[in-house]
Amino acid sequence: MHVIRGIRGTFQPFWVTLRNMFRKPVTIQYPEEKQQLPERYRARLILTRDPDGAERCVACHLCSAACPVDCISMQAAEAEDGRRYAAWFRINFTRCIFCGLCTEACPTLAIQVTADFELAGRDLLKLVYEKEDLLVDHCGNDNSYNFYRQSGIGVAAPRGTNPGETPPADVKDLMP
Amino acid sequence: MTTLSADAVRSASKKLTMPTLTIDNQTISVPEGKTILEAAEALGIMVPHFCYHKELGAVGACRMCAVTVHTGPMPGLKMACLIAVEEGMVVTTGDDASATFRERVGEWLMLNHPHDCPVCDEGGECQLQEMTISSGHGIRRYQGGKGTYTNQDLGPFIAQEMNRCIQCYRCARTYKDYCGGRDFGVMGSRNRVFFGRFKEGMLESDFSGNLVDLCPTGVFTDRTFRFKSRAWDLEQADSVCPHCGVGCATVPGGRLRELQRVQSGDNSLVNATFICDRGRFGSGYANHPERPRQARQGDQPISVGAALTTLETQIRAAIKHHGPEAVLLVGSDRASLETNWLLQRTAKHFGCRVPVLNAHHHRHQTAQMAAFDFSDQLASLQDIRTSDLVLVCGVDPLAEAPLLALALRQAVRKGGRVVVYDPRPVELPCDYDQVAIAPLALQELLADSGAEGRHLRDLIGQAKAPIIVAGADLLGPVGFQKVRKWAEKSSNAERPCLMYPVLAGANSFGTALLSLPEQDDLLTRLDSGKVKMLICVETDPLLEAPDGERFAAALTRLEQLVVLDYLPTSLSTHANLFVPTCPPVEDSGTFINNEGRLRRFQQVIKPGQSLAVGEHPSREFSLDTPGSDPQPAALLLQRLIGRELPLAELHRQLVLEQPRLAALTKLKAGEAGSRVTPAVARPQFIDQLPEQPVQTLELVVSPARYGGDLFSRYAPKLEPRKRLPCFYLHPDELQKHGLKDGDNAVVETDFGSFRLSVCSQPGMAAGCVLVESSAAFPQLIPGAGFSYCVISPGGANE
Repeated sequence: MHVIRGIRGTFQPFWVTLRNMFRKPVTIQYPEEKQQLPERYRARLILTRDPDGAERCVACHLCSAACPVDCISMQAAEAEDGRRYAAWFRINFTRCIFCGLCTEACPTLAIQVTADFELAGRDLLKLVYEKEDLLVDHCGNDNSYNFYRQSGIGVAAPRGTNPGETPPADVKDLMP
Repeated sequence: MTTLSADAVRSASKKLTMPTLTIDNQTISVPEGKTILEAAEALGIMVPHFCYHKELGAVGACRMCAVTVHTGPMPGLKMACLIAVEEGMVVTTGDDASATFRERVGEWLMLNHPHDCPVCDEGGECQLQEMTISSGHGIRRYQGGKGTYTNQDLGPFIAQEMNRCIQCYRCARTYKDYCGGRDFGVMGSRNRVFFGRFKEGMLESDFSGNLVDLCPTGVFTDRTFRFKSRAWDLEQADSVCPHCGVGCATVPGGRLRELQRVQSGDNSLVNATFICDRGRFGSGYANHPERPRQARQGDQPISVGAALTTLETQIRAAIKHHGPEAVLLVGSDRASLETNWLLQRTAKHFGCRVPVLNAHHHRHQTAQMAAFDFSDQLASLQDIRTSDLVLVCGVDPLAEAPLLALALRQAVRKGGRVVVYDPRPVELPCDYDQVAIAPLALQELLADSGAEGRHLRDLIGQAKAPIIVAGADLLGPVGFQKVRKWAEKSSNAERPCLMYPVLAGANSFGTALLSLPEQDDLLTRLDSGKVKMLICVETDPLLEAPDGERFAAALTRLEQLVVLDYLPTSLSTHANLFVPTCPPVEDSGTFINNEGRLRRFQQVIKPGQSLAVGEHPSREFSLDTPGSDPQPAALLLQRLIGRELPLAELHRQLVLEQPRLAALTKLKAGEAGSRVTPAVARPQFIDQLPEQPVQTLELVVSPARYGGDLFSRYAPKLEPRKRLPCFYLHPDELQKHGLKDGDNAVVETDFGSFRLSVCSQPGMAAGCVLVESSAAFPQLIPGAGFSYCVISPGGANE
């Protein structure tokens, strides 16, 4: 038995090599050739805008709280119309592990993943992205959601005029 | 809606019966009068609740704390916060009936609540978030619209977002019932109930900030902290408020090296769960833009290590050439107990004379009376809250110790009486009787003479738990001595008459306790001409002690002025050698408060320059934090004498030297804190009152409510509350001097001549001129002893 197994073990690899020698290769010539990535591939993060063109991010810190490697930091500020926005927003892509937990935590659909994985470089500081590097001019994968129209406070529209709201109560009204 | 607090319930049931009940198969015995909710809390079972708060009591408005009572007089679904425990009760909290009920209540409370947690400052520490999740409600089923409100502008401290309200009434109960504010309340009917002011405007109460702590959701949030940080990102630790001598428990929060907010801590014996607006919004000193962060020799920046080496060389040289009197160390009542004790250590190490621990000698002597003479009959704020008679002598609580005013209100709410003897028009958030009496007359009254004195004695005699609150600044050591005698006379074995001294600094009691009674004052020692080198540790006698001119003259005779401080005081700019130190939030240490209670504070943030608002953090990598040179004064002093010890070892040595501080070794931050043990020896002062010169008025210098203490002068957030200075006189006095309300007048005092407008103040004593000390008049320091002035018309308004 040992002899038969030994002989087979010697010749089988040759046969496998011989068989594959004339097949078409599966590797592609990256970077000259690019691969079509799956739709849900998780790579570089972006900050999207709402359908009205305003920044979606409200700097709520939920992404930075969810981030397992602490690569997101920001500071919130208040705009004149009461909108909460990020005064600065920084993602350190040298630390990011592209787990996508930030996008799951985001209540405003602001932070989203893209399929752009080409983040290699010699200068590490170039991989520390600031808000201007992250902010894009489109809605990403959801082109209808505007957080401030659902939030129930008067920022995108006057108080009591968003969908599902009644007009502000007149507190001095005594009608039953 | 007035409700009894838990304390009232407790004191109402003095019987020591302990009913035993079973909650979720666990058995516990609790004092009679406790509710099921409190018993469950003691067992570690959390029953969801909103309207119940341990200081405000229960009203049963939110219906969230439903539990099932199986046996007892009325079995069934009950509100845990309202039902007092009874012997043999069996309660379940997780059964189907009560859990479903709570889930429905959670769902119903969320009917109108907006969906804006991401932009709400309460998010992350919101009781509504926690309770909704614990009640089990998740998906909204109701199809109708959400109710909305129009918000009010409530001033620079509080932001309102009424849409978030769940109508628990906690804010009205806090602001109106507990804190005695009058300009805030409930309006409207049915589903339009609104909590706010009748008209927009700044909230008037000095305790308005408590709305932020007490609101279970984000209706009232801290406007000064708006969108600055999330609760989970804050560095927080148990600390002690440094603004006055009450020593309230606080929980400051900082992020990115900036002290961003102060919340109330919990100390049932001192401040309960409330703090005043000065403590809450007056924290700007820690990140003041002018705060000195660089050690300097002359104008040259040097490293801290080099500064300490230079200092050591200079001290040794001064002692060698001029003797042990040549070096004078000055401590401070805003520096920690450890720092002050290490100053004494440092003096011993180099062989120089004992340090002066408080530049304000008069205040220091009065604090010594409190620390030694009062020490066996000291009242706590909790004693005041449950007292039936409080005599307030020479204190304006809202200016000198705001939480005392709140404690007085609780005494009155429980049926107690408050009588105020003070020359100032004292305002309190409760009903009280005031006798407007000039300072000298008050001293005579305390000497137990005249009809008013007899009346006072009768009052104390009839009271069950009388307390005398004595103000250090107005009464002075002589007045304190009289208060002590009075309290002694009015006490008997079963019912002592307690005293509560109101001292100026966070650590006035501590510095007084450490120093020897026969110590000379700073100016006498400086004027002797022997002092060549003055080392001021966290003190600026120019701003914190009277007679600044004499001190300034003495400065010119010095060879070396060394300052260690964290405030941008004027003295630090004069210093030949300056070393930056850390405020209490960047340091760990101990204060001793008015009631002789040791209070530990913990380091909250590390020193360093914070980012300016909106500024982008640097993209350069560096191992150093800009502006992180400041080190705690206690650490600097230890490095100076070459002996760095861990805090525990330091405390052990301190206790060996000061056995009255025995509790120090076991003290922890966030605890109520133990008292110092009573003193054996007592200082005595000559009971002699000065003669008032004829044709003069008594000058009463009182700290301004905002801007009176040194910390709040460096707190930009408090600016809106600061008042323009003026001279207050009784209307009769104005008439006598031919003045009208609003006229200009010139007042000649011992500290210089001042020209200001006069205000008529019918509530104050005649024969006095009242002026508030503030940054505008640094020469006028409260507590400088009796002082007289002459007032004359000062010409037309400019």
